[in-house]
Amino acid sequence: MSTQESLIPPEATKLIGTEQARAAGIVEKKQFQRWAAAVKDRNPLYFDADFARAHGYRDVIAPPLYVQYVTLGITDPDALRPDGTPGGGAGDIPLPACPRRMAGGENWQFHAPLYDGDVITATRRIEDITEKSGRSGRFVLVTWLASYRNAGGELVAEARSSMIARP
Amino acid sequence: MADQTYFEDINVGDAIPTLAVTVDETQMFFFSAATYNGHRIHYDKTWATEVEGYPNILVHGPLQAALLARAVTDWAGPDGRLVSYAIQNRASAFPGEELRFVGTVTGKRDEGADSGSAADHGAADHGAADHGRGLVDLEIRGEKGEAQVLMPGTATVSLPKRG
Repeated sequence: MSTQESLIPPEATKLIGTEQARAAGIVEKKQFQRWAAAVKDRNPLYFDADFARAHGYRDVIAPPLYVQYVTLGITDPDALRPDGTPGGGAGDIPLPACPRRMAGGENWQFHAPLYDGDVITATRRIEDITEKSGRSGRFVLVTWLASYRNAGGELVAEARSSMIARP
Repeated sequence: MADQTYFEDINVGDAIPTLAVTVDETQMFFFSAATYNGHRIHYDKTWATEVEGYPNILVHGPLQAALLARAVTDWAGPDGRLVSYAIQNRASAFPGEELRFVGTVTGKRDEGADSGSAADHGAADHGAADHGRGLVDLEIRGEKGEAQVLMPGTATVSLPKRG
Protein backbone atom coordinates (compact mmCIF):
# COMPACT_ATOMS: atom_id res chain seq x y z
CA MET A 1 0.00 0.00 0.00
CA SER A 2 1.37 3.41 -0.94
CA THR A 3 1.85 6.18 1.58
CA GLN A 4 -1.38 8.02 2.28
CA GLU A 5 -1.56 11.41 0.67
CA SER A 6 -1.88 14.35 3.05
CA LEU A 7 -5.38 15.76 3.45
CA ILE A 8 -3.84 19.24 3.47
CA PRO A 9 -2.72 20.60 0.09
CA PRO A 10 0.23 23.05 -0.07
CA GLU A 11 -2.18 25.90 -0.91
CA ALA A 12 -3.75 25.39 2.53
CA THR A 13 -0.44 24.96 4.39
CA LYS A 14 0.83 28.31 3.15
CA LEU A 15 -2.14 30.05 4.81
CA ILE A 16 -0.88 29.14 8.29
CA GLY A 17 0.05 32.31 10.14
CA THR A 18 -1.68 34.63 7.71
CA GLU A 19 -4.38 37.14 8.55
CA GLN A 20 -7.59 35.82 7.08
CA ALA A 21 -9.98 38.62 7.89
CA ARG A 22 -10.10 42.12 9.33
CA ALA A 23 -13.30 43.97 10.08
CA ALA A 24 -14.48 46.92 12.15
CA GLY A 25 -17.78 47.72 13.79
CA ILE A 26 -19.41 49.87 16.45
CA VAL A 27 -20.87 48.46 19.67
CA GLU A 28 -24.54 49.47 19.75
CA LYS A 29 -26.57 49.22 22.92
CA LYS A 30 -29.81 48.25 21.23
CA GLN A 31 -28.07 45.48 19.28
CA PHE A 32 -26.44 43.88 22.30
CA GLN A 33 -29.65 44.24 24.30
CA ARG A 34 -31.53 42.44 21.53
CA TRP A 35 -28.93 39.69 21.68
CA ALA A 36 -29.27 39.42 25.47
CA ALA A 37 -33.07 39.39 25.15
CA ALA A 38 -32.86 36.56 22.60
CA VAL A 39 -30.76 34.61 25.12
CA LYS A 40 -33.30 35.62 27.81
CA ASP A 41 -30.31 36.93 29.73
CA ARG A 42 -31.87 39.70 31.81
CA ASN A 43 -28.66 40.68 33.59
CA PRO A 44 -29.22 44.31 34.71
CA LEU A 45 -25.59 45.14 33.85
CA TYR A 46 -26.72 44.96 30.21
CA PHE A 47 -29.98 46.92 30.59
CA ASP A 48 -29.88 49.27 33.58
CA ALA A 49 -27.28 52.04 33.44
CA ASP A 50 -27.80 53.08 37.08
CA PHE A 51 -27.31 49.51 38.20
CA ALA A 52 -24.17 49.17 36.06
CA ARG A 53 -22.78 52.44 37.51
CA ALA A 54 -23.44 51.20 41.03
CA HIS A 55 -21.17 48.26 40.17
CA GLY A 56 -18.25 50.30 38.85
CA TYR A 57 -19.05 50.56 35.16
CA ARG A 58 -19.63 53.88 33.42
CA ASP A 59 -22.72 52.64 31.54
CA VAL A 60 -24.45 49.40 30.63
CA ILE A 61 -21.97 46.86 29.27
CA ALA A 62 -22.34 44.36 26.45
CA PRO A 63 -22.55 40.66 27.31
CA PRO A 64 -18.97 39.35 26.92
CA LEU A 65 -19.74 36.87 24.13
CA TYR A 66 -21.50 39.58 22.13
CA VAL A 67 -18.13 40.95 20.98
CA GLN A 68 -17.99 38.42 18.11
CA TYR A 69 -21.04 40.01 16.46
CA VAL A 70 -19.92 43.65 16.57
CA THR A 71 -17.96 43.43 13.34
CA LEU A 72 -20.45 41.43 11.25
CA GLY A 73 -20.74 42.80 7.74
CA ILE A 74 -23.56 42.90 5.23
CA THR A 75 -24.63 39.70 3.50
CA ASP A 76 -26.06 39.66 -0.02
CA PRO A 77 -28.94 37.15 0.11
CA ASP A 78 -28.30 36.29 -3.54
CA ALA A 79 -24.70 35.35 -2.75
CA LEU A 80 -25.48 32.80 -0.02
CA ARG A 81 -24.70 29.13 -0.28
CA PRO A 82 -27.74 26.84 -0.63
CA ASP A 83 -27.78 26.24 3.14
CA GLY A 84 -28.14 29.95 3.81
CA THR A 85 -24.61 30.55 5.11
CA PRO A 86 -22.34 33.16 3.59
CA GLY A 87 -19.15 32.17 1.84
CA GLY A 88 -15.83 33.10 3.33
CA GLY A 89 -14.51 32.00 6.69
CA ALA A 90 -13.78 28.30 6.73
CA GLY A 91 -14.85 28.07 3.08
CA ASP A 92 -11.79 30.05 2.04
CA ILE A 93 -9.38 27.34 3.17
CA PRO A 94 -8.79 24.98 0.28
CA LEU A 95 -9.36 21.50 1.71
CA PRO A 96 -11.03 19.76 -1.24
CA ALA A 97 -10.49 16.33 0.28
CA CYS A 98 -12.46 17.30 3.39
CA PRO A 99 -15.89 18.67 2.46
CA ARG A 100 -17.56 17.82 5.77
CA ARG A 101 -17.03 20.69 8.19
CA MET A 102 -18.07 21.07 11.79
CA ALA A 103 -17.39 23.60 14.50
CA GLY A 104 -14.84 22.45 17.06
CA GLY A 105 -14.54 24.65 20.07
CA GLU A 106 -13.84 28.20 21.15
CA ASN A 107 -11.69 29.61 23.90
CA TRP A 108 -12.27 33.21 24.96
CA GLN A 109 -10.23 35.63 27.06
CA PHE A 110 -12.04 38.82 28.11
CA HIS A 111 -9.84 41.77 29.01
CA ALA A 112 -12.12 44.82 29.15
CA PRO A 113 -15.84 45.60 29.10
CA LEU A 114 -17.54 46.83 25.92
CA TYR A 115 -19.69 49.97 25.91
CA ASP A 116 -22.14 51.54 23.50
CA GLY A 117 -20.18 53.48 20.89
CA ASP A 118 -16.92 51.55 21.19
CA VAL A 119 -15.29 51.02 17.81
CA ILE A 120 -13.98 47.46 17.62
CA THR A 121 -11.56 46.06 15.08
CA ALA A 122 -11.38 42.30 14.77
CA THR A 123 -8.54 40.45 13.11
CA ARG A 124 -8.57 36.74 12.47
CA ARG A 125 -5.40 34.79 11.83
CA ILE A 126 -5.07 31.15 10.84
CA GLU A 127 -3.00 29.75 13.64
CA ASP A 128 -2.63 26.16 12.46
CA ILE A 129 -3.89 23.55 10.01
CA THR A 130 -2.96 20.01 11.04
CA GLU A 131 -3.96 16.51 10.14
CA LYS A 132 -5.09 14.26 12.99
CA SER A 133 -6.35 10.76 13.39
CA GLY A 134 -9.25 9.87 15.64
CA ARG A 135 -11.62 7.02 16.30
CA SER A 136 -13.66 7.91 13.23
CA GLY A 137 -10.62 8.24 10.97
CA ARG A 138 -8.45 11.01 9.64
CA PHE A 139 -9.46 14.66 9.84
CA VAL A 140 -8.03 18.15 9.57
CA LEU A 141 -8.07 20.54 12.52
CA VAL A 142 -8.01 24.26 11.67
CA THR A 143 -7.32 26.76 14.47
CA TRP A 144 -7.89 30.51 14.30
CA LEU A 145 -7.00 33.30 16.70
CA ALA A 146 -9.33 36.30 16.63
CA SER A 147 -8.27 39.52 18.38
CA TYR A 148 -10.65 42.34 19.20
CA ARG A 149 -9.23 45.83 19.84
CA ASN A 150 -10.92 49.13 20.63
CA ALA A 151 -10.20 52.49 19.02
CA GLY A 152 -7.31 53.04 21.43
CA GLY A 153 -5.70 49.79 20.32
CA GLU A 154 -6.46 48.12 23.65
CA LEU A 155 -7.04 44.38 23.41
CA VAL A 156 -10.58 43.83 24.72
CA ALA A 157 -11.02 40.14 23.90
CA GLU A 158 -9.37 37.22 22.18
CA ALA A 159 -10.84 33.98 20.90
CA ARG A 160 -9.14 30.86 19.71
CA SER A 161 -11.55 28.75 17.71
CA SER A 162 -11.34 25.53 15.75
CA MET A 163 -13.03 23.64 12.96
CA ILE A 164 -12.90 19.97 12.07
CA ALA A 165 -12.92 19.02 8.38
CA ARG A 166 -13.42 15.37 7.40
CA PRO A 167 -13.17 13.49 4.10
CA MET B 1 -29.52 37.59 39.86
CA ALA B 2 -28.48 40.64 41.83
CA ASP B 3 -27.12 38.44 44.60
CA GLN B 4 -23.36 38.67 44.90
CA THR B 5 -21.07 35.65 45.16
CA TYR B 6 -17.91 36.28 47.18
CA PHE B 7 -14.57 34.56 46.74
CA GLU B 8 -14.30 33.48 50.38
CA ASP B 9 -17.66 31.72 50.26
CA ILE B 10 -16.70 29.43 47.39
CA ASN B 11 -15.18 25.98 47.83
CA VAL B 12 -13.76 23.52 45.34
CA GLY B 13 -16.51 21.06 44.49
CA ASP B 14 -19.33 23.59 44.84
CA ALA B 15 -21.96 23.42 42.14
CA ILE B 16 -23.39 26.57 40.60
CA PRO B 17 -27.18 26.74 40.23
CA THR B 18 -28.37 24.78 37.19
CA LEU B 19 -29.96 26.82 34.43
CA ALA B 20 -32.67 24.72 32.77
CA VAL B 21 -34.00 26.06 29.47
CA THR B 22 -36.31 24.65 26.82
CA VAL B 23 -35.57 26.58 23.65
CA ASP B 24 -38.49 27.02 21.24
CA GLU B 25 -38.66 28.10 17.59
CA THR B 26 -39.51 31.68 18.53
CA GLN B 27 -36.39 32.08 20.67
CA MET B 28 -34.36 30.48 17.88
CA PHE B 29 -35.77 32.94 15.35
CA PHE B 30 -34.84 35.89 17.57
CA PHE B 31 -31.35 34.50 18.13
CA SER B 32 -30.85 34.06 14.37
CA ALA B 33 -32.04 37.65 13.90
CA ALA B 34 -29.85 39.05 16.70
CA THR B 35 -26.78 37.33 15.23
CA TYR B 36 -27.65 37.95 11.56
CA ASN B 37 -27.57 34.21 10.96
CA GLY B 38 -29.24 32.93 7.80
CA HIS B 39 -28.28 29.27 8.22
CA ARG B 40 -31.37 27.28 7.16
CA ILE B 41 -30.57 24.50 9.58
CA HIS B 42 -31.93 26.75 12.35
CA TYR B 43 -35.33 27.56 10.79
CA ASP B 44 -36.06 25.47 7.70
CA LYS B 45 -37.32 22.10 8.93
CA THR B 46 -37.55 20.65 5.44
CA TRP B 47 -33.92 21.56 4.79
CA ALA B 48 -32.74 20.28 8.16
CA THR B 49 -34.52 16.92 7.85
CA GLU B 50 -34.51 16.12 4.13
CA VAL B 51 -31.21 17.66 3.04
CA GLU B 52 -29.09 17.44 6.19
CA GLY B 53 -30.72 14.38 7.72
CA TYR B 54 -31.43 15.78 11.20
CA PRO B 55 -34.64 14.92 13.07
CA ASN B 56 -35.53 18.61 13.43
CA ILE B 57 -34.06 22.11 13.16
CA LEU B 58 -30.98 22.60 15.38
CA VAL B 59 -30.55 24.94 18.33
CA HIS B 60 -27.60 27.20 17.48
CA GLY B 61 -24.28 26.22 19.07
CA PRO B 62 -23.68 29.92 19.91
CA LEU B 63 -27.08 30.07 21.67
CA GLN B 64 -26.11 27.07 23.79
CA ALA B 65 -22.78 28.78 24.49
CA ALA B 66 -24.58 32.00 25.46
CA LEU B 67 -26.90 30.12 27.82
CA LEU B 68 -23.96 28.34 29.44
CA ALA B 69 -22.19 31.68 29.91
CA ARG B 70 -25.43 33.09 31.37
CA ALA B 71 -25.46 30.31 33.99
CA VAL B 72 -21.93 31.36 34.99
CA THR B 73 -22.47 35.13 35.03
CA ASP B 74 -25.80 34.79 36.88
CA TRP B 75 -23.95 32.87 39.58
CA ALA B 76 -20.97 35.25 39.62
CA GLY B 77 -23.23 38.24 40.34
CA PRO B 78 -22.88 41.86 39.24
CA ASP B 79 -19.40 42.32 40.72
CA GLY B 80 -18.14 39.07 39.22
CA ARG B 81 -16.43 39.11 35.83
CA LEU B 82 -16.05 36.44 33.23
CA VAL B 83 -12.30 36.28 32.57
CA SER B 84 -12.08 33.25 30.31
CA TYR B 85 -14.58 30.88 28.78
CA ALA B 86 -13.92 27.80 26.65
CA ILE B 87 -16.39 25.32 25.18
CA GLN B 88 -16.51 22.50 22.68
CA ASN B 89 -19.47 21.60 20.46
CA ARG B 90 -20.24 17.92 21.06
CA ALA B 91 -23.84 17.13 20.18
CA SER B 92 -26.93 18.68 18.64
CA ALA B 93 -29.88 20.08 20.54
CA PHE B 94 -33.41 20.52 19.23
CA PRO B 95 -36.30 22.85 20.12
CA GLY B 96 -38.60 21.43 22.79
CA GLU B 97 -35.83 19.56 24.60
CA GLU B 98 -34.92 20.59 28.11
CA LEU B 99 -31.31 21.75 28.14
CA ARG B 100 -29.41 22.10 31.40
CA PHE B 101 -26.39 24.31 31.96
CA VAL B 102 -24.29 23.33 34.94
CA GLY B 103 -20.93 24.06 36.54
CA THR B 104 -18.66 22.93 39.35
CA VAL B 105 -15.82 24.82 41.03
CA THR B 106 -12.48 23.12 40.30
CA GLY B 107 -10.04 25.63 41.75
CA LYS B 108 -9.57 29.03 43.38
CA ARG B 109 -6.58 31.33 43.63
CA ASP B 110 -5.70 34.90 44.44
CA GLU B 111 -5.81 37.32 41.60
CA GLY B 112 -2.09 38.02 41.70
CA ALA B 113 0.50 39.48 39.41
CA ASP B 114 0.36 36.39 37.19
CA SER B 115 -3.16 37.28 36.11
CA GLY B 116 -2.78 40.96 35.32
CA SER B 117 -5.47 41.13 32.69
CA ALA B 118 -8.37 40.81 35.08
CA ALA B 119 -7.02 43.64 37.19
CA ASP B 120 -7.00 45.89 34.11
CA HIS B 121 -10.64 45.19 33.49
CA GLY B 122 -11.53 48.83 34.09
CA ALA B 123 -14.56 48.42 36.28
CA ALA B 124 -15.61 47.85 39.86
CA ASP B 125 -12.59 49.83 40.98
CA HIS B 126 -14.70 52.40 42.78
CA GLY B 127 -17.91 52.50 44.73
CA ALA B 128 -18.02 49.90 47.45
CA ALA B 129 -14.86 49.32 49.45
CA ASP B 130 -12.44 47.25 47.44
CA HIS B 131 -11.11 44.25 49.34
CA GLY B 132 -9.40 42.67 46.37
CA ARG B 133 -10.45 39.86 44.13
CA GLY B 134 -9.83 36.19 43.53
CA LEU B 135 -10.10 33.86 40.56
CA VAL B 136 -12.33 30.81 40.52
CA ASP B 137 -12.02 28.05 37.92
CA LEU B 138 -15.07 26.08 36.87
CA GLU B 139 -15.81 23.01 34.85
CA ILE B 140 -19.00 23.76 32.95
CA ARG B 141 -21.26 21.93 30.53
CA GLY B 142 -24.51 21.97 28.65
CA GLU B 143 -26.40 18.69 28.74
CA LYS B 144 -29.77 17.14 27.96
CA GLY B 145 -31.65 13.93 28.58
CA GLU B 146 -29.86 11.45 30.81
CA ALA B 147 -26.77 13.63 31.21
CA GLN B 148 -25.89 13.59 27.49
CA VAL B 149 -23.13 16.18 27.12
CA LEU B 150 -23.85 18.83 24.49
CA MET B 151 -21.12 21.24 25.31
CA PRO B 152 -18.30 20.65 27.79
CA GLY B 153 -16.06 23.51 28.82
CA THR B 154 -14.22 25.53 31.41
CA ALA B 155 -14.53 29.07 32.72
CA THR B 156 -12.60 31.39 34.99
CA VAL B 157 -14.41 34.08 36.92
CA SER B 158 -13.01 36.94 38.97
CA LEU B 159 -14.96 37.40 42.21
CA PRO B 160 -14.77 40.16 44.82
CA LYS B 161 -13.56 39.39 48.34
CA ARG B 162 -15.57 40.26 51.39
CA GLY B 163 -12.39 41.61 52.93
